[in-house]
Order: sequence, then structure tokens, then C-alpha cells
Amino acid sequence: MKTRKRMGYSFAGALALAVVTMGTASSQEVKSAVKYGDMNTVTQDLLNRAESDGNNFLLTNGDYWQRRYYPNTQINTANVARLHPAWIFQTEVKESLETSPLIINGVMYVTTSFSHVYALNARTGEELWHYKHKLGPVTTFCCGPNNRGVAAYGDMVYLATLDSKLVALDSKTGNVVWTADVADPELGYSETMAPTAVNGKILIGTNGGEYGIRGFLRAYDAKTGKLLWNFNTIPENSVGVWAEKDATGRDMHRDIAAEKAQLAKSGDPFKTLGGGVWQNPAVDLETNRIYFMVGNPSPDLDGSVRPGDNLYTDSLVSLDLNTGQYVCHFQYIAHDIWDLDAVSPAVITTVTGKDGKPTKGVIHAGKTGHVYVHDAKDCSLIRFSEAMVPQENMWTLPTKDGARMLPGANGGVEWSPMATNPVLGLAYAINLHQPMTYHVANAPYPQGKLWLGGAFKVIPSEEQWGNVTAVDYNTGKIRWQVKTPQPMIGGVLATAGGLVFTGEGNGLFKAYDAETGSTLWKFQAGAGVNAPPSSYTVDGKQYIVVGAGGNVQLDYKRGNAIIAFTVD
Amino acid sequence: MLAAALFLLAQVFPLHAQSIEEKAATCGACHGEAGIPQEKTTPIIWGQQEGYLYLQLRDFKRGMRKNQKMSPIAEALEREDMLALAAFFAKKSWPSLEQPSASKDVATRALTAISSVGCTGCHLDQFQGDASVPRLAGQSREYLAKTIADFRTRERANNPGMSDLMNATSQDDLATITEYLAGR
Ligand code: HEC
Ligand code: HEC
Repeated sequence: MKTRKRMGYSFAGALALAVVTMGTASSQEVKSAVKYGDMNTVTQDLLNRAESDGNNFLLTNGDYWQRRYYPNTQINTANVARLHPAWIFQTEVKESLETSPLIINGVMYVTTSFSHVYALNARTGEELWHYKHKLGPVTTFCCGPNNRGVAAYGDMVYLATLDSKLVALDSKTGNVVWTADVADPELGYSETMAPTAVNGKILIGTNGGEYGIRGFLRAYDAKTGKLLWNFNTIPENSVGVWAEKDATGRDMHRDIAAEKAQLAKSGDPFKTLGGGVWQNPAVDLETNRIYFMVGNPSPDLDGSVRPGDNLYTDSLVSLDLNTGQYVCHFQYIAHDIWDLDAVSPAVITTVTGKDGKPTKGVIHAGKTGHVYVHDAKDCSLIRFSEAMVPQENMWTLPTKDGARMLPGANGGVEWSPMATNPVLGLAYAINLHQPMTYHVANAPYPQGKLWLGGAFKVIPSEEQWGNVTAVDYNTGKIRWQVKTPQPMIGGVLATAGGLVFTGEGNGLFKAYDAETGSTLWKFQAGAGVNAPPSSYTVDGKQYIVVGAGGNVQLDYKRGNAIIAFTVD
Repeated sequence: MLAAALFLLAQVFPLHAQSIEEKAATCGACHGEAGIPQEKTTPIIWGQQEGYLYLQLRDFKRGMRKNQKMSPIAEALEREDMLALAAFFAKKSWPSLEQPSASKDVATRALTAISSVGCTGCHLDQFQGDASVPRLAGQSREYLAKTIADFRTRERANNPGMSDLMNATSQDDLATITEYLAGR
């Protein structure tokens, strides 16, 4: 038994784990490490090795490359049929759950809608502490009061809140250590993403692409909350190269002459151009770069008031981690007027390059329904996959009365992170098929209020569905695809046990064979399983954990359960 | 007439010299002493979301939202008053106007239209709203109809996004939505 004795913090609630405490300890002192590992703090070294850590789940998307490939094989294709709930924890908040659970040395951190954080005993589901952020009166969010999780670093966990604050909590007690004001919610800013912790920095983006914000990605000092650097996702010159075709070579029907005339009249629209960042950046510590996706321009559907390519909306962007300086970008859709932007997080992995050789690549599942594969060196596009969902009438311009186009505005893939299996060379994405009409209307910048420039409407008479799709990122071909009865939103986890886990709006949580897509196991959770699963191991036993809270955006049945599964 | 009288009242008792209860009492003349508005086209503000109440007062003062009765009231308020009034009314409990539930047919049609635009994406599951998004469930039918119409014409100009969504929805669907929401 290794013990690292640390004084001066309390591990509220964990005291119930009497076995953990030593006889002489004061009521304030708990040696949480004894039973569940020998680390009390999350070191940079631990995070660097997340990829091969079969005990913890340390980062939102598994590791810094965001592969969501869990290395433990204890739960595998041979025994997954015996998977069953080990425990179910019910949160106080019955509203959409998008959390990515982190598990560190037997302690699980989950978040709920309205910016709550829970620390749970990962073995029993017992609550250790609960932090309920007191939200200010004004919060401005587009798609539900969601939260996607915390980051862990040192002795703290970090939460970004709906009222646009970054809060550092003592990971042992849930007490607030510091709070930083990120941006003004009255101007349309909000936070729903999980931060990323790396090299003493806490990286965070912003929501607000529906409210005429000017987006950013920022680094705060992990210890003090001081702003270290800020990168505006919208540069002062946002005009670009007047691209007429999208990344796949299709004509976007831009009226460049009209845009140029508007530019001469109103100038560069950069101050209110949107460009939110929905998901964690992928971090490449070998080159000290980060890669992330920038969302849609504001207003979503009315391009007439924002001439130019609207850089860097709808783009992959890479920055220097130390300075926040621009490195490279790739724009998928210039001057987007369909909200088919870039939201699912970037994944770094080795791919077949342009020259046929193994190359460090960045992959992204676009709302267009393609998986895009880039060269990490210069962000350039190596290939894009076959479309995972039906595409029709692309790119039809929105009209006053509505023009039908597929995919609908929730895209072929939403914010849902992909998982990958580097051994099979596959990326797993979940898809939506939702036929919609796109409507355009004109209104001036409304000072932080909803600014859509029109509307997207589901066509009620048309069938909707979803897919789970395995894409070979070395060829762009679809390896297998499984249809689901409803559009999919949430996220995917792959494991070295040959499995792929993902959930559905109807409450089903399923395990698929990573190679063939056959369904090996399913469980009815009673509420939509629309959150990314995680995995971890305590006391030598592997678990799969996922939130079942439904989804606001697609109106899937709400719930409040965090469910951990195991085989035994 | 009434507006003029109240405006006078506001001048006689400068708002900043009053306690929050006194300030709130002036609102009761129209929004109701017990939260039930005097007129059907005046909205319930008791139990409404705090952020939303504040933003409306702010917008009336800024002139982004205009109303003969409300605008002069808001003009006399400072930001602190608005925040305090919003917090005060948000804590009250929402009164029942005892409006009848929509028939099954109307409800079905309303829910189809609601899911087409995704109204619950912002107003949430039970139309209770949150923070800056208003509660709609049980709001006065006549007021809902009026403000929806004002969104459509952009007479209510303080949320162009809502105007766009209302314009993308047919008048008939909006009528069923109004009835459905009022009866919830
Ligand atoms: C003279 C009558 C009158 C008085 C007094 C009055 N209001 Fe109003 N108020 C109205 C009317 C009528 C509306 C609806 C305006 C419209 O249709 O756009 C309204 C709307 C509002 C709204 C917007 C609610 C919503 O659902 O959009 C708020 C908030 C509000 N009033 C707060 C107050 C407060 C606070 C006071 C006291 C300081 C007050 N009002 C006093 C008549 C009044
Ligand atoms: C993207 C978010 C969003 C969606 C979707 C949405 N709303 Fe709203 N709605 C708002 C916000 C925010 C306000 C407050 C407007 C303001 O700032 O004045 C509002 C205001 C309203 C009001 C005025 C309430 C009052 O007290 O004055 C009504 C009525 C309304 N919405 C109905 C609807 C209906 C019906 C739908 C679907 C057809 C819908 N909304 C869809 C965000 C939304």
C-alpha cells in the first residue's frame, strides 16, 4: 500500500469510505489515494500518458489527440453481452445531459445542465460533493442549458458556466478556488464546452454564434485564472479569397458582386461575425500546437449583411499552444448560410498522407456529413469521406418561404465527438437525417439577442433517422453503417476490446462490434442517451459509464441518470 | 389616461427614493396586485424568469421594444432598479388565469408545429423557460397572440430571431400554439 499523505484538504463525503481513512486522521484528512491508486494530483505527465492509461479517463475525449480509444480490453466482444449496470446515480437536475465523465483515481467528475458538477465514488456511485454554480440572471444559450464536462489539473477541476465564467474547484471538496469572467452573457456569450487542461493552461472557447458575438479561444493560467492569451476566431480581415466552392468542390452559388458592393458600403463585419468554438481542441505536444473547430457566422442564414468568406468560421484552425499565435487553417464552407458549420471536435491520428505514406493527420466529422482528413503540418485537406447521410440540393440558397436541402441544419453530424480505432484505421461517427427547409430574413445586429437571419424548419411529413458509421480514414470509404430509428446526437467511445459504444434518443445504449457493426449488447436507460461514454477501471474492474438525460435540441426524453456498467 | 396618471405618480415619488416593494407596487396597477393582470393583453410578470424580465425592462428603456404603457415606466428605471424588480417578480409564484386546456386536436397540431421549429430547444421541455428565455406556459392567451403578431410585423423588434421563427410558422399554426400554451 503506497500512501502519499497530504494535509490541508477535506474530501467531503468520501469520509464515508472509512476503509480509506487512517485511524489517526483528523476528520478533515482523507488519503483518497490508498485504495484507488497512488496519485492525488493530476500531473502533466499523467495527462501525457492518457492514451495508454487503462485506469483513468483523464481528458474529455480520452487523450490529447482526442481519439476516444480506451486501451483496456477487459470488457470485450466476447463478454460484452454480460454487461449490466453496476450503479446508477441520479443527479438533482432532470435536463439534457451532454457530460463526458472524467475518472481519476477512483473519483468520477460529471456535470449537468445549468452548470452543476458532481464528484462521485467511481466504484459505488456514491456522491462525494456537489457544486451548484449560482448563475447570474442573464444567460444566453442556443441549444439547451447544457454542460459537456470538466477538465482536471493539479488539485483542481475546471468548469465553464452558462453565464460565461470559468470556475476552478478544489477537486477534493468542490470549493471554489478562483473564478474568472470570460465574457458578457448580455452580449450573447455562454459556455457549455468542457475546458482542456495542458501545461498549466486552461483552454476554453465560447458559444454565441446565434447572437452576433466575436468568437475566441483562450488560455487561462490554471493556478490563478489569469488570462494568458486570446485568439479571436474572427480576424479583423475576415474577407478571405472569395471562395466559390466548398471543400468538396461544389458550387455554393455566392453572389460575389453583391457581396463586394456590400463590403464597400458596410466594411468588414468582423465585430459581430460569430465563430463560436463548441468543443475541446486536440493538442499535439510534439509540435506544441492545438487544433480546433470554429462554428458558424452570425447571423446564421442571412449572408447579405456579412460579405466575404467570414474567416475563420466553419474552419479547422491550428494555433501555437504557448502563444495562441495562428499556425494554419482550412475553411470547409466560405460564407456559410446554412449553419452547416464545424463543431464535432478535431482528432489527431496517423493517416495515409497525400503521398501514400503514414502522416500525422487531423480528422473532423463535418455537419455536411463528410469526414474530412487533413495534414497536421499545414491543415491542408488530404481527402474527404463518402457522404454518411443523404445530401440533396446542395447548395440551394435559403429563401423567404423556405428551400429544402439535405442535410438539415443540425447536420449529418452534430457536436458529437467521434471515436477512432487506430488499429483498424476507422473513425466512428453518429449521424442525423432530418429534412429541413431553410428560410432567410433580414434584421440588423440585435445587441446580443438571437440573430438567426431566418429559420430552419423540420419538414414534419418526412421521415427522420440516424446512423452509426465507421469510416476508413485512410481511404475515405464507409466500412460499415448501421441505421437507427432517430437522428443521433451525443458521442462515441471505442475500446481496445473491439467495441464501439453509443446511445440513442429513445434510451437505448448499445455496444457494436468495431469491425463489423453488429450489435453485441443493448440497454434501455429510460431517457435519451445523448452524451459521450467514458471508461475506467477501479479495483481491477473495468466500467463503461454514460449519462442518460435526453437532449434539448432534438427534444429527446429527459432524465437524470449517470449509469456505470460492468461485467462480472 | 392611465399611463399619464402613472407617469405623474412616478414623478411625485421618484423611483430611486423608494424601496423595492414600493417600486413594485406601481407595477401592480396594470400587472395585478396579486399577479393577475388587469387587462388580457397585459402579460403575467409574477414568477416570470428573472433574466427575461430584466432584459425586457432594459429593451423598453432602450427603445428596442416599444409600448405606450410600458415604455414610459421603463424610461424612469435605472439598471439597478431593473435588476431588483426582475429579481422581485421572479420570486413570486406564477398565478393561474384558469384558461382552458387546448383540445386534443389543437394540441396535436400545435406540438407538430412546435417540434418543426424546435421551440422547446429554448423555452424548454415544459415551456417554463430559463433565465433570459421566458416562460410561456399559462401566459395570457390574448397577450401571447398580440406579442406573436408584434414579432411577426417586427413591431416588437427586440428579438429578431424570434421574429424570424414566428414568420417561418404559419398564422394558423401560431393560433393553435397560442391556445395550447395558454392552456398549459
Ligand atoms: C400602465 C400599465 C402598466 C404598468 C404600470 C406597468 N406595466 Fe409592464 N406592461 C404593460 C403592458 C401593456 C405590457 C405589454 C407590452 C406589449 O404588449 O409589448 C407590459 C409588459 C411588461 C413586461 C414584459 C413582459 C413580457 O412577458 O414580455 C415587463 C417585464 C413589465 N411589463 C414589467 C413591469 C414592471 C416591473 C412594472 C413596474 C415598474 C410595470 N411593468 C408596470 C403595462 C404596464
Ligand atoms: C433559439 C431560441 C428560441 C426558440 C427556438 C424559440 N424561442 Fe421564443 N423566445 C426566445 C427568447 C430568447 C425570447 C425572449 C425574447 C426577447 O429577448 O425579448 C422568446 C420570446 C418568446 C415569446 C414572448 C414571450 C413574452 O412573454 O413576451 C413567445 C410567445 C415565444 N418566444 C414563443 C415561441 C414559440 C411559439 C417558438 C416556436 C415556434 C419559439 N418561441 C421558439 C427564444 C426562442
